[in-house]
Amino acid sequence: MGEFDLLSSLPAIAPEIGLTILIFVAVLLDSFLHESQRKGIAYVAALGMAALAIVPIIPGWAPEPGPTGDYLFWGGMIRHDALAQIFRIMVLASGALTCLMAVDAKRVGNKGEFYTIVLVATLGASLLSASADLIMVFVALETLSIALYCLAAFKRNDSKSTESGMKYFLFGAFSSAIMLYGFSLLYGFTGQTNLYALAQFMGTEAFANNAVPVLAAMVMVIVGFGFKISAVPFHFWTPDVYEGAPTPVTAFLSVASKAASFAVMMRFFIAVFPNDLVIGDYVIQNFWVQFMAAAAVISMTLGNVIALSQKNIKRLLAYSSIAQAGYVLMGVAALQATTPLGAERAVASVGFYLFMYTFSNLLAFAVIILFSEATGSETIADLAGLNRRSPWLALTLTIALLSLAGVPPAAGFFGKFYLFTAAVEADLVWLAMIGVLNAIVGLYYYLVVIKVMYVDRSEDEDKPIPTSQTYRWVLGVATLAVIILGTVGAQVIFEWAVQGAGTLFALLPGVF
Amino acid sequence: MNVLNEWAFVGVFFALSWALPALPIVAAVFFSPKKANAIKLQTYECGVETVGDTWVQFKVQYYLYGLVFLVFDVEMIFLFPWAMAYERLDTFQFFAGIVFIILLLDVLVYAVKKNVLEWS
Repeated sequence: MGEFDLLSSLPAIAPEIGLTILIFVAVLLDSFLHESQRKGIAYVAALGMAALAIVPIIPGWAPEPGPTGDYLFWGGMIRHDALAQIFRIMVLASGALTCLMAVDAKRVGNKGEFYTIVLVATLGASLLSASADLIMVFVALETLSIALYCLAAFKRNDSKSTESGMKYFLFGAFSSAIMLYGFSLLYGFTGQTNLYALAQFMGTEAFANNAVPVLAAMVMVIVGFGFKISAVPFHFWTPDVYEGAPTPVTAFLSVASKAASFAVMMRFFIAVFPNDLVIGDYVIQNFWVQFMAAAAVISMTLGNVIALSQKNIKRLLAYSSIAQAGYVLMGVAALQATTPLGAERAVASVGFYLFMYTFSNLLAFAVIILFSEATGSETIADLAGLNRRSPWLALTLTIALLSLAGVPPAAGFFGKFYLFTAAVEADLVWLAMIGVLNAIVGLYYYLVVIKVMYVDRSEDEDKPIPTSQTYRWVLGVATLAVIILGTVGAQVIFEWAVQGAGTLFALLPGVF
Repeated sequence: MNVLNEWAFVGVFFALSWALPALPIVAAVFFSPKKANAIKLQTYECGVETVGDTWVQFKVQYYLYGLVFLVFDVEMIFLFPWAMAYERLDTFQFFAGIVFIILLLDVLVYAVKKNVLEWS
C-alpha cells in the first residue's frame, strides 16, 4: 500500500459519503417535521440517491487506478473499479425507486425511520459492491443485513411482518456466522485479509498438499453468499420473508441485496480463487465453478417448478427470484471461460442481467403495491379483470412479467440471451440447455398471471385502482428502462458492462 | 511444513476440551449417592423464590433508554482513544472524529425529539 492520499481516495467512496449525508438529513427531517409531512423525506431520499446514481455516469468520473497502481483505495479496503460503479448505480437506483414506491404504503410511507433504514441498507449494499477485503466484505454485508432485518419486521403490529423479520434474522445470523468462520479460516491460513493478497499466498509452497482446508473455507463462504442471493439450497427463508415483509421492502430485498451480493461474490471468487490457483493436483477454480453450475441447475428448476403452484403473487415472485438467481449463477459458472474475453463477457452478462432484473422486478412490485393498497389482497386470482379496472397498470405488470420471463421486446430477452451465450462460450452447453428449458417452464406461470388480468372477469371491474402522481413517475421510469434495455439500449449497456468487467480483471497479478 | 499437521493440535484440543468437562459429569452419574427430596428437586435459581408471575410487562421506555444508552456507551469507546491522542492528530484524523461526533449529535436530536428520554 502506497502513501495515503485523501484527495484521490475520496472519489472512491463518493456514493457512500453522499448516502451518509442523506441519512443525516433524513434523521433530522424525521425529528423536526410534523407526522403528516414526513412523506417528504421519501422525495429527499429518492432524489438524493438518483443524483448519486447519475454522478458515476458523468465522463471524467470514471474510476482510475489509485496511488498504488491498482484500483485499491483506503488501504485495500475498497476496489473502485468500473464494475463496482455499475453495481452501485443499480443499488442506488433501486433504493431511490423503493423510497418512492413506499410513499403511499400504509403504516410504512409516513414513517421517517423507513427511509432512513432504506438509506442505511443502500449504503451497505453500495459498499459491498466495492469491497475488496474480508473485513470490509463482512462489515458491509452486516450493514446491509441488519438494516434489512429491521425493514422486514417494519410493520411491528403485523404478525406476518414480525415473523418474516425474525426468520430472516435467524437464517441471516446463522449464515453470516458460517461465512465468518470461512473468512477466519482463510485469514488463519494466510495471515492476510485483502482479497487480492490471499490468492498469492495460497499459491505458495506451504499449501502444496493442502487443498482440503482451502476448499472447506470456500464452501463456508459460498453458504454466506448463497443465502444472500437466495440460491438453492440456502433459499428456505425466501418465500416466507418475501410474503411477510411490507411490499416495498420485498422489492428492495429482491433486487438491491441480490445485486450487491452477486457483485461481491464474483469479485471474491475471481480474486481469491483465480483460474491459475493450483494447490497440489487440484485446480481450485474447477470446484467453485462446478458448485455454481450445480446451484444454478437446482435453483432454476426448483424455483420454477414450485412457482407453478403459487396462489399468492408475492410468493410467486419469491420463487421466481430464486429461479432468476439460478440463471445469474449460470453466468457466474461461465467464469471458467478460458479466454479473457469470455470471462469478461460472463461478468458483463451477469451485470446486464441484474441491471434489467432490478428494473423489471421493481416494476412488478410497484404494481402489486398499488393493487394491494387499494384492494387489500395479494392473491393472483384477485388480479382478475385488472385490464378492465386499470388498463395501464395491467399493461405495466404485463411488461414486467414478460421481461422476467425473457420475452422480447422487454429487457429480459437480452438478459437471458447474454447469459446463455456466456455459458455456451464457456463450454457449458448442457447448462445453457437446462436454462432454456427452465425459461419455458417459467414462461408458463408468468403468462398465467397475465391471463388472469386480461381474460378472467371480476365483480369489481368498475372500480379503477387509484394511482398517484408519484407512482406514475415510478412506473413510467421503470417501464421506460425495461423497454430501452430490451431494444436500443441493450448493446450499449452490455458493452459498457464488458468494459467494466475488464477492470475487474485488470492489473491482477497472474490472472490471464 | 504441512498446514494440516500445523492445525492438527486444534483437533486434539477440540477432542480434549470435550472430554475433560464430560469426565466428571459422567463420573458423577455413576458414583454420586441419589437421595432426592422435595427441596433438592426444586429448580435451582439464585436469590429468593419469585412471588407471582415472572412474565410481567416492563415499561417500553426502559428498553428504548437502554438502547440509546448502549449506543452512546459503545461510541464512547471509539472517542476515547481519539481524545487521548488529540495533540498528535493530523487534520484528516481530527475531522474524522468531528464527523463522528456530529453523527452522534444527530442521533441524540432524534432521540430527544421522539421523546425517548422522557418519562411520563
